[in-house]
Amino acid sequence: MNYLVELILKLAKVDRRWIFLIIGFVVLIPLIYPLALPIRPGKDSKEVYDFVEGLADSSKVLLSCEYGPSTKPEIHPMVTSLLHHLFSLDRGHKVYVVCLWPDGQFMAEEALEEVAEKRFGLTYGEDYVMLGFRPGNEAVVKGIVSDLRKLYTIDAKGTKIEDIPMMEGINRFEDFDFLFSGSAGYPGTTEWVQFAADPTSVPMSTGTTSIQVNEMMPYVLGGQIKGILAGMPGAAEYEELIGVKGIGTSGMDAQSVAHFVIVLFIFLGNLGYFIERKRSKKHQGS
Amino acid sequence: MLWKRQIPILIVSLIGFATLLGWFFDQPTFKSFVDDDATQWFDILAAFAIFLGGLNLLKLQTQKVLMKQKGWQYSLFAIGGLLFAIVAGFFVKGNPEVAWGAHVTSKGTLFKWMFNYMVSPMQATMFALLAFYVASASYRAFRIRNFEATLLLSSGIIIMIGRVPLGSYISSWFILYLIVLVGGIVVNTIFKNKQYTAVAVLAGIILVTVTGSSMGWPVDKPAVFYLPYLQEWIYRYPNSAGSRSIMIGIGLGIFGTSIRYILGIERSYIGE
Amino acid sequence: MNDREFLIGSGVFAASFIIYLSIGAPHFITGRLVMFFSIVLFSGILIYSTRKAQRGEDIFLRTIPGLKAVEEAVGRSTEMGKPVLFVPGISDMDQVETVAGVIVLGHVSKMTARYETPLNVPVSRAIVMKAAREACKESYLVEGRPDMFHEDMVHYVTDEQFAYAAGVNGIMVREKPAACVYMGKFYAESLILAETGNSIGAIQIAGTASQSQIPFFVTACDYTLIGEEFFAASAYLSDKPELVGAVKGQDMIKVIILILIFSGVILRMLFDLGYLNMNILELLTVR
Repeated sequence: MNYLVELILKLAKVDRRWIFLIIGFVVLIPLIYPLALPIRPGKDSKEVYDFVEGLADSSKVLLSCEYGPSTKPEIHPMVTSLLHHLFSLDRGHKVYVVCLWPDGQFMAEEALEEVAEKRFGLTYGEDYVMLGFRPGNEAVVKGIVSDLRKLYTIDAKGTKIEDIPMMEGINRFEDFDFLFSGSAGYPGTTEWVQFAADPTSVPMSTGTTSIQVNEMMPYVLGGQIKGILAGMPGAAEYEELIGVKGIGTSGMDAQSVAHFVIVLFIFLGNLGYFIERKRSKKHQGS
Repeated sequence: MLWKRQIPILIVSLIGFATLLGWFFDQPTFKSFVDDDATQWFDILAAFAIFLGGLNLLKLQTQKVLMKQKGWQYSLFAIGGLLFAIVAGFFVKGNPEVAWGAHVTSKGTLFKWMFNYMVSPMQATMFALLAFYVASASYRAFRIRNFEATLLLSSGIIIMIGRVPLGSYISSWFILYLIVLVGGIVVNTIFKNKQYTAVAVLAGIILVTVTGSSMGWPVDKPAVFYLPYLQEWIYRYPNSAGSRSIMIGIGLGIFGTSIRYILGIERSYIGE
Repeated sequence: MNDREFLIGSGVFAASFIIYLSIGAPHFITGRLVMFFSIVLFSGILIYSTRKAQRGEDIFLRTIPGLKAVEEAVGRSTEMGKPVLFVPGISDMDQVETVAGVIVLGHVSKMTARYETPLNVPVSRAIVMKAAREACKESYLVEGRPDMFHEDMVHYVTDEQFAYAAGVNGIMVREKPAACVYMGKFYAESLILAETGNSIGAIQIAGTASQSQIPFFVTACDYTLIGEEFFAASAYLSDKPELVGAVKGQDMIKVIILILIFSGVILRMLFDLGYLNMNILELLTVR
């Protein structure tokens, strides 16, 4: 018994480098040997899915990408799944891509190449267009709301906006039917809600990193955002709903095991804490 | 004194009031100034200011190399990185078919290569550190010291487990048994009587077992103890309530601070 | 400005607005009238409480442990002969939090000047670098130690978020500051900075209004200023009556908002039950 107690006390004070090593292994192994755990879509992911399903034919969808390589594992599967969903419905939806982050343009181009070009063989300028990044943070959002053509005179490839067929009739934010923001921080979802979606009543959904979901929940519950894809679990849930598994789903195996291991560490730490506390109380008593 | 004190305060007040009033007036010229021009002025200032920052960085790193200070070899990487980015951005396209400007994201350019093979992996590496740091911070900080800490710990565990697919395998009945055991600990702490504790735990186990058997041991019922539903509830209600109150507080703080700047009450930002 | 001048000014403003409304309020977005009045009312409350404080009213500010600890942290650094590291966030001066962070830097640099402690301020934006330098220079001048100030104590690292975090981590690991103060707007790099600071044994004080980063700072730092406490820091540290009065004004506004929330819930409930014709949400919703 004493040996067990000493072992627990030792584990409770373990060097953090051992924790790093163990976390490294528990994340790596499920990525190499997938567990294929079933994903159960939640209420918020279903709301996004249902809203996209319910879009009228030939809807004009504005997709805003504000994430970079660091948050790519969380947001990129959401964006590719959304694009897949929109194009697979085959209802003539048009996708217009803008970026509030410079890194977002790289990410968006990758997503469009993977889904629109290679998977669906769609035509640039007729089915989707990459308007690109503009500096200015929330000023870009305000500019899109008031006069998109003043802000975007050319697209990301340098083509004039007037020469792009699908830009006909698009002058301001209210000309869009739906907005999806794939956001990892500032500027992002909050700016879109505050300056675009809420004042104009254009419906919007979002996909954010797990840590941002706290901040976005009040907007979701208030109906200002129609559902939310919450981090990698949200991405995996959306992949499950559209039936196309990707890196969101494969990442969930690693995340599941890692979370359990962290809980185990917390449990061990508390066990050691209680034993220490009991010992020091006994020591004080004697 | 006029240039360092009164004029900056006047500029802040004028632009502050203009930006504030711009939300209430839809006069086209005024609105265009507030929504587009004013914020773009800042971006232009910031773009020119990058020269100051870049030159400062270059100066400090070069000094380190020339004076052979400790770790000067790393400064070579800093200087080399800065110069390489400038060359890739302004001088060497790498793909002659692409126009300047579009070369930043086009395939086959040096800048794109730099982004794909240097910037992206480094950004991803630094972000990945968070996984390790979250584990070590949780391990160190999550202790059951008092009621609030216990509440924080238990809601954190519920969300961590409930959010992932493995959590949906954990039956509500397992959680109920855990609650019975925790209840036994509480009874023991209050009454310090082994008999009472044994009776309480036994009664709890019998109750849960009988109820579970009668219901056929469904994994997700009672729903209140099913971790995925519980974590959803925590996210949507207590968490949102807390978020809203912090948001209101922060919003008020930002409002109060901004009004102080606009009215000239707070002048510390100019060094007063 | 004395009371008479203030009252005359307010009267002129109110009269002008009434005349403006009476001629049809051209270009005014009438849907936002409620918000306009709210801003005028709240600003009036702030000005009133500021003026009351300037007249000598004794205002109680509760102790904020994190701010009390700043001086202790600087003292600890002085005893250990190690520098103080101050991180003013990773946003630019267009964010209120960054400006608030630079103001706190001004106070911290006064303490480092007084105690002759080295100060290191790595920044992520060039404009913040200039503003922070001015704040530090002014503080050292006020403390009578302009000789101790040198421009390179505030230095630019990089705009890129994680490169900045890596740079600051490197500074922490090499120089081993005894105190790390994080005051400003932070994102994902907050935990990286805080954990590294913890690993070198520094005393850490953080202040931010970035909601999602508060839990990380609370977990990893010794003291954390949450939301409003961070904005009250300049009032707390300077103890200037006008700033302290403004903090009290904010509290009064909070009480009004609480009353509005409660009464709004009751009015909406009465509307839903059919006892009232007016939907309070329509009045309060701003488009």
